[in-house]
Amino acid sequence: MSEESILRVEGLVTQFSTDRGLVKAVDGISFNLRRGETLGIVGESGSGKSVTNLSILRLVQSPPGNIAAGQVIFQGRDLLQASEEEVRLLRGKNISMIFQDPLTSLNPVLKVSMQIAEAIQLHHGQGRKAARAKAVEMMKLIGIPDAERRADDYPHQFSGGMRQRIMIAMALSCNPDILIADEPTTALDVTIQAQILELIKNLSAKDKTAVILITHDLGVVAGMCDTVCVMYAGRIVERASVDELFYDPKHPYTRGLLDSIPSVDLSGPDRLYSIPGAPPNLIDMPDACPFAPRCSKVMEVCARSMPPETLLDAETSRSVRCWLHTKENRNA
Amino acid sequence: MKANRLTRNAIAMTGITIIALYLLVIFVSTFWLPFDPVEMDVDHLLEGPSLATGHLFGTDEFGRDILSRIMKGTSISLIISIAATALGAIVGTTMGTWAGYLGGLWDHWLMRVADVMFSFPSLLLAIFVMAILGEKTYNVIIAIGIVYIPQFARISRGAILTIKSSEFIKAARSNGASSTFILRKHLLPNILVPLIVQVSLSLSVAILLESSLSFLGLGVQPPAPSWGNMLSGARKVMVLAPWTAIYPGLAIVFLVLGFNLLGDGLRDILDPRLRNVR
Repeated sequence: MSEESILRVEGLVTQFSTDRGLVKAVDGISFNLRRGETLGIVGESGSGKSVTNLSILRLVQSPPGNIAAGQVIFQGRDLLQASEEEVRLLRGKNISMIFQDPLTSLNPVLKVSMQIAEAIQLHHGQGRKAARAKAVEMMKLIGIPDAERRADDYPHQFSGGMRQRIMIAMALSCNPDILIADEPTTALDVTIQAQILELIKNLSAKDKTAVILITHDLGVVAGMCDTVCVMYAGRIVERASVDELFYDPKHPYTRGLLDSIPSVDLSGPDRLYSIPGAPPNLIDMPDACPFAPRCSKVMEVCARSMPPETLLDAETSRSVRCWLHTKENRNA
Repeated sequence: MKANRLTRNAIAMTGITIIALYLLVIFVSTFWLPFDPVEMDVDHLLEGPSLATGHLFGTDEFGRDILSRIMKGTSISLIISIAATALGAIVGTTMGTWAGYLGGLWDHWLMRVADVMFSFPSLLLAIFVMAILGEKTYNVIIAIGIVYIPQFARISRGAILTIKSSEFIKAARSNGASSTFILRKHLLPNILVPLIVQVSLSLSVAILLESSLSFLGLGVQPPAPSWGNMLSGARKVMVLAPWTAIYPGLAIVFLVLGFNLLGDGLRDILDPRLRNVR
């Protein structure tokens, strides 16, 4: 670890009890986040990206959700063991979140300045006036024109991109150590996406805020992240720096994802590649590699047991969870 | 913007005008009444309305001036109606919002209690409560308030359920808001519309309930005047002196109409789904 780690997630397991059985949405996730780092978490829908991050802040609805095991170490404390009140005081102040859909993530009946100022009022106990002034300052920072006047507008008076900016202002109002962005640009069109990502990038660089960026867009990952975790069926299947991931993907799933990116040049095959099959049902998973049924390099061992996580490079903590890359197989 | 929509809504404005007239009557009655509302006058029993005697609405079976009694009764009726609605709205909404927000067992049991209370006709429930509490004016407030608690609880719970899983509630939680803060700042403003409408409709029903209780002799006790007990007294002499029943009856009808019109108008104004429908 070259720089100090500010968040360490260790063996996190989050499960949901449903009528048809236990769903292990997150099954033993571990990662490390360093100050100022941008960590990308990529994966298909339902691979457990969002649940991982909701678990960090203990925001998983319970019941049916339940964090069954693991540690989330922040500032030397395990957040999963801390009291609800302790965690509540961290939310929005030290660790804050941006949600996917800016259209529904703002309260329709409250003025935007009130919502931006909310975290400031909650955590710094400032009066309404001071909080509003801070909200206006934040709105200027995130590039909302005529902030002073627009502070008293309601969410429906803003466009989608502006609303996502307001969400960012809300999340950054207390200068958090960690910003969790859960698909922040999914609901926005491409030009606005670029602006929003640029904004997150600049603001996080300014205060050395660490960012966890959840996305299914590998283009976003390439432009934003330092490190990437690829998730599949509740597990991290590959962890790499962003360059290594794009130039030398180890896991067949990562390779499949990269091959599925549409390319502008016409040299490729006529049809866009897609990984065959569908993600597995997470109820009562057998002890086998969950990707095996869809894998082009499937071996006999894959269906028999779960591959262990293999550390490829201790220094960059590059790792992969695949039988192709276990020690025995590499040496053979 | 909202005030403008209110003044342009003829139904709501008619309701407001009627209510304002009653408020004016209350205001006047605190300074001046044509006659003492409880003073009996054996020389003028059951006299018809007449300008000459000064009894504009006539007199009742004890010779008391009906207009004065109606005016005095207005403030009693309105106070009971407003206080009872406030009681029911505050307690019911608190219960309902918490039940809806927390869910689980607390929700389950509160709503079962509400169901049991709902299974009684409201007048019957009010009579039960009055029988337990005793026949006092302020007990009428409690009785009607108790009738209202499950109604407000159910409305606010339903409204909370539809919005509590919204993204913005999740966003507020991720911002470090406590449950109390979320209820007060995020949930309550969002369910205000159905509550406001329910309040205005409850005010009118409270007038009817109070009159019914007083009519049955359980509410405001004679000789203190209330529209309900005036009607009760008039029952025996109605054929002989119809004015003893007609005027208190009209007083009830118009106030209830006023509150209902206001409630309907408010619903039209505040419900976005009905907004541009004409």
